[in-house]
Amino acid sequence: MTIPEFTMADFWPVIPAGILTAAAIVLMISEVFLGAAASRTYQSLLSVLACVLAGAVALMNMTDTPRAVLQGYAVMDPFSSFLTLVVCVGTGLAALLAAGFLQHRNAERGEFYALMLFAAAGMTLLGLSNEFITLFVNLEVLSVATYALTAWLRRGSRPSEGAFKYFILGAFAAALMLYGAALLYGATGTTHLTDMAAKLRAALAETDASGGHPKQMLIYAGFLLVGAGFAFKVAAVPFHMWTPDVYEGAPTPVTALMSAGVKAAAFVALVRVFMALGPAVDPQLPFIAFSVLALLTMVVGNLLALPQRNVKRMLAYSSIAHAGYLLLGVAALFAVGKDAKVGVLSSTPLVGISGSMQSDVYQGILFYLLGYTVTAIGAFGTIVALERREDETKGNAWDLDRFAGLGSRKPGWALAMTVFMLSLGGVPPTVGFIGKVLLFRAAVDAGLLGLSIVGMLASAAGVYYYLRVVVYMYMRPAPEGALVPERRWTTELALVATAAGTVLFGVLPGPITALLQRTDMLFHR
Amino acid sequence: MVVDVVGFLPHATIHLPGPFRYLWLQPICCANSPPRMSPEQILFWVFAVATVFSALGVVVLKNPIASAMSLVATFFFLAGIYVLLWAHTVAALQVLVYAGAIMVLFLFVIMLLSINDVGPAVQLSFSRLLGAVATAALLAALVLAFRKLPTSDLAWANDPARLASFGSIKEVGAIMYTQWLFPFEAVSLLLLVAIVGAVVVAKSRI
Repeated sequence: MTIPEFTMADFWPVIPAGILTAAAIVLMISEVFLGAAASRTYQSLLSVLACVLAGAVALMNMTDTPRAVLQGYAVMDPFSSFLTLVVCVGTGLAALLAAGFLQHRNAERGEFYALMLFAAAGMTLLGLSNEFITLFVNLEVLSVATYALTAWLRRGSRPSEGAFKYFILGAFAAALMLYGAALLYGATGTTHLTDMAAKLRAALAETDASGGHPKQMLIYAGFLLVGAGFAFKVAAVPFHMWTPDVYEGAPTPVTALMSAGVKAAAFVALVRVFMALGPAVDPQLPFIAFSVLALLTMVVGNLLALPQRNVKRMLAYSSIAHAGYLLLGVAALFAVGKDAKVGVLSSTPLVGISGSMQSDVYQGILFYLLGYTVTAIGAFGTIVALERREDETKGNAWDLDRFAGLGSRKPGWALAMTVFMLSLGGVPPTVGFIGKVLLFRAAVDAGLLGLSIVGMLASAAGVYYYLRVVVYMYMRPAPEGALVPERRWTTELALVATAAGTVLFGVLPGPITALLQRTDMLFHR
Repeated sequence: MVVDVVGFLPHATIHLPGPFRYLWLQPICCANSPPRMSPEQILFWVFAVATVFSALGVVVLKNPIASAMSLVATFFFLAGIYVLLWAHTVAALQVLVYAGAIMVLFLFVIMLLSINDVGPAVQLSFSRLLGAVATAALLAALVLAFRKLPTSDLAWANDPARLASFGSIKEVGAIMYTQWLFPFEAVSLLLLVAIVGAVVVAKSRI
């Protein structure tokens, strides 16, 4: 028996998760001493503080050298550290939004923030998992926490339906992924991503007496199942059916966390798994798979969002569409050269991906994740500000009419919402525009011209339903007897922060892009 | 502590049973040819077929209690397969924790809730049909993939020192607490989250 030796260098990447977990435990313990009527605003602020601390550690980790840590079960690289930063930003903002939301419903308890922080810890750990069992366990940490958060308020049938759907389908997707990982383990005898690629290549090359490749089908089946599990988590079409119901049923701050954090973490894990294992198989296969997923997700997500009058549901479909743009970036990572047998929608010969382009794609994906996190949380935050407990069970709480006349009733909120909608639609000078430029530019450089054009057309179609909200806010009179929105300083602080971030990163993206301009983004071997 | 079933049997050579591989071989007892299956293979098929059928029972049976009992049976038969795989500790834990503790709690909950209705009748719809086709296709693909796999004897099948320690509690513990430290700690976080989540969901009103 060999006792492993750890140094502090092993622990730096998991310290943000440790801070978040410790804060969650403090929150749960402090709840014991509070009566039902005690003020709990400090819980939200404590969560924000934990997120700030964890984010600061993550920012520091960005500059560290990429390496494998904790006996190879985890990695320390800028890719996962930046995800940690994004998750901390998202969770902190969502916790701010939650304070007012929960107080208004008499449902503010320490467990809510604790679960939020646990989910965030799971997300950061998922981003740095470098081994299938670790990856699965951390995926479950974040999933179980979000299942419980979805079911936090069970008033009316919608939340129960959403939580139940999320739980059943999520468990099913996790099982599929675990089975796929087990098949890959069966073919290679290892669960470590770094060792697996070489062993996969050897296993694929094995021949039997008749000259066939006995393990080929097993490995492809494994890839298929793992890919399906990830596609569910990032809500890619055709694995998206759960998204609108769950996003609508969950408490809005939780929806904000789901649309930003869960998706970002799943994307980072997806890129890590497929970048580690993809080189072992024919590069055509991941390229075709991700191109088709990206195409379907971009087009279907935007088309389904078009007729929605329910703004919360519209944002759910829009988050599917945004997953499509990110999948375009993932497809670009696998773009093969001129010898491509199949190029999805490419009118020009593919140039393929090279090292420097790859770091451009990583930069695009990560910047987009940050931009989407800030913007989506802001957009859901406006809904939080407008929502009233009274009409929760009526089903029209998020109707477009609720936004009518907001420009004259609450000019500040309307301006913030306009900024978020423009950013989601990709209109300058917002962070959404810069994100799309970086992502689409990287995809075009890799030769995915056709797919990028489809993406741009789809996002142009998206501008229609985003601007419809703006039109309602400024050009429609407020309906008779509209409820006066309640002001809460935590919610307004979150709105100001997200709106400022959306514009600031859109005008001055330099510091962030410089931070992401690295050649050693993803740790290999 | 765990009875070594395999060790008591004659001709105990270890085969990793490649599932589906022996389905098409001769039956176990034929008049003319000597039996071709080792005791492990016979046991494997007994456990495997029983596992599949009891698992089917969980899904198909209408009575919740019968369903839960069927799940208990599934866990027992799975434990048998674990023993054949030389994983005695996992087999013992499977029986003690899953079949013993967790399923008994399940049964208590079902009985306390006294669920009487059997749920809505399953109706045939387009999406269900599509799901059935997709499931059948996945199953067919997996069967094809498994049939192609080569069977190989374990490299250390004749290494008595390895056989003595493999799968024992000591060995599993040593590996879990030295090599698999990070996933182990992640599991402890998962359990904590699951407990908090369960309490939150079970509360009648926040």
